[in-house]
Amino acid sequence: MFDAVQRNLPFLLAGFLMNLQLAACALAGGIFLGMLVGLGRISKRRWIYGPVTAYVNVLRNIPLILVIFWFYFVMPILVGKTLHPFVSAAISFIVFEATYFGEIFRAGYQSISRDLVAAAYSTGLTYWQTARYIMIPIAFRRMLPSMITQSIITFQDTSLAYVIGLQEMVRRTTIVDSMEVRSIELYGFVAVMFFVFCFAGSRVSRYFEEKSRKANIL
Amino acid sequence: MLAYKFDWSVLWRQPYGEWLLSGIWLTIQLGLLAWVIALFLGIFLGTLRSSHWPWLKFLGSLYVEVFRNVPFLVQLFFWFYAGPMLFGKELQFKINAISGLNYYVAIIGLGLYTASRVAEHVRAGFASIGQGQFQAALSTGMTHLQMYWYVIIPYALRVIVPPLTTEFLTIFKNSSVAMTIGVAETTFVSYKIDNETFHGLEATTGAMLVYLVLGFCVVKLMGIVETKVRIPGLVSR
Amino acid sequence: MIEIRNLSKWYGKFQVLSDINEVIKKGQTVVVCGPSGSGKSTLLRCINGLEPFQKGEILVDGVSVGDPKTNLYKLRQKIGMVFQRFELYPHMTVLKNITLAPMKVKKLSRKEAERKAMELLERVGIPEKANEYPANLSGGQQQRVAIARALAMEPEYMMFDEPTSALDPEMIQEVLEVMIDLAKEGMTMIVVTHEMGFAREVADEIIFMDGGKIVERGTGEEFFTNPKHPRTKEFLSQILK
Repeated sequence: MFDAVQRNLPFLLAGFLMNLQLAACALAGGIFLGMLVGLGRISKRRWIYGPVTAYVNVLRNIPLILVIFWFYFVMPILVGKTLHPFVSAAISFIVFEATYFGEIFRAGYQSISRDLVAAAYSTGLTYWQTARYIMIPIAFRRMLPSMITQSIITFQDTSLAYVIGLQEMVRRTTIVDSMEVRSIELYGFVAVMFFVFCFAGSRVSRYFEEKSRKANIL
Repeated sequence: MLAYKFDWSVLWRQPYGEWLLSGIWLTIQLGLLAWVIALFLGIFLGTLRSSHWPWLKFLGSLYVEVFRNVPFLVQLFFWFYAGPMLFGKELQFKINAISGLNYYVAIIGLGLYTASRVAEHVRAGFASIGQGQFQAALSTGMTHLQMYWYVIIPYALRVIVPPLTTEFLTIFKNSSVAMTIGVAETTFVSYKIDNETFHGLEATTGAMLVYLVLGFCVVKLMGIVETKVRIPGLVSR
Repeated sequence: MIEIRNLSKWYGKFQVLSDINEVIKKGQTVVVCGPSGSGKSTLLRCINGLEPFQKGEILVDGVSVGDPKTNLYKLRQKIGMVFQRFELYPHMTVLKNITLAPMKVKKLSRKEAERKAMELLERVGIPEKANEYPANLSGGQQQRVAIARALAMEPEYMMFDEPTSALDPEMIQEVLEVMIDLAKEGMTMIVVTHEMGFAREVADEIIFMDGGKIVERGTGEEFFTNPKHPRTKEFLSQILK
């Protein structure tokens, strides 16, 4: 009964790998950018706080598909040539997910006592040194469960790269389905693949949440 | 960048303007109708999750975990392409022949997906209600069902208005995924305009504005609901 | 030498420091006491530029703290600070806590920084805790590490903001002993505290603050036995019960 899946397994799994790769890029860029966005959101300087807040508020209110399209149309104009869907999608994801990670980091930064930051300054550390060695590491550890949850969401979102034709797993499934017409097995398979990964991820997040709750060190 | 000639009239020129308007109307329909499904189903599931009968708890958790861990796009494709096949060879063809099938599937799919998220908020809402309330209701002789229906659910609903606002916003954003099965809502329209005019930049920017305005309206509306429904003495925000 | 001239600070409309004037000479230990909200902590944070102020002047060895051109990062290397809640970095070992600034700011090599850190840990009495995380130390031990961390930058001045207020009584003495040793070795110190025993032993000058103003100054025993201002009398009688 599952022979349709079996016949096309390598093809489909290669697509799944692409989802993973896209997610990895999106997370690397999104988390790094998110660290900065979080700092921008707690900045006392209005010329930083304003634009960053506007950026976050706009991107969190529009659908991801639209952001993917927007970059797909904008990039050729800015760069002069059409980009490979993977690159365009990766950029869209990084810009989009950075707003969510930014808010997570912001909560992390705000949970750090002001005196701890003052203690770092009082030993002569600069703003960026304090951010790099104290604020970011502590925020990262405290918000790890939230970050894992958001990472799972990001991974699921990579399926939306379908709309610009990226050969990730969902698109490959539709291609196979148009030939084999065994929709239940095929779409069931991709659903199960995602389910297993995401469910495992949520268990990992739960584990870290329990661990930090018991230890309560940070 | 300078070589590109902007043409913002694609947003209101005929027939594009008309497309956009009907697209917006479809987005609203999808969001509202799916929201109704999501609310009722979500409240039901959240109650299951919070009950103390292990089997009910398990059923609720199963639903939530399945619908939360599979991307919405995959769910939608499953219901649209594989769904009719679940009804067997005969009904399958009849179902596929329904005109506007993608519209109905989108609403149901969106409703089922969002229901899992609403269920989580409902569960959290219940958890935040102290044991005392449950005990007080039961001690007046109510059955569990009555307790949930008359006391706990109304209480929890008021408490979870803020997270529900976020879900309500999210449902309009997720309605854009329906474009992948051909529903001509806002995002689909902007894509179609690009196909015809190659001015996708303006079209998608216009679509973004639509969602921003829609989101703004939702927040305002829910703000009113929240004020009307606020429980005095409880810290809500 | 630290000179404070006509220092005033407002938080919005609320005046938290009024016309503070004070000179702290090298080698002196100045104790600042007073009820909570009297502005003592704020005064300390103005001195090393952690808090801005609107009126007046603060000169540290001739460098004006309020001047926008002043490099506050360099200034803070000269002034060490110890906080009420220790504020050790929870995600770093004791050793790392102490060596971070010397390595990143003074560009010491890891070997050099760790050698100096171990010396300081010996000095405050807990060298065996070097590789522990702050959470595994008692309050008194954490505060002693905090003192070592501040000393690692070889400051010329040390400021203490109620260093023993968050400690269980049994641990107060171990921290005070480190501070007394520091004072006797000639460190210039400003200490905000209620520990009058400490003040009696090493303070060259005691300042009583209330409502953002310096109400009374005294030296040594004079201050305790013969306070002049009624509010000083009131405060002392409550503290010295």
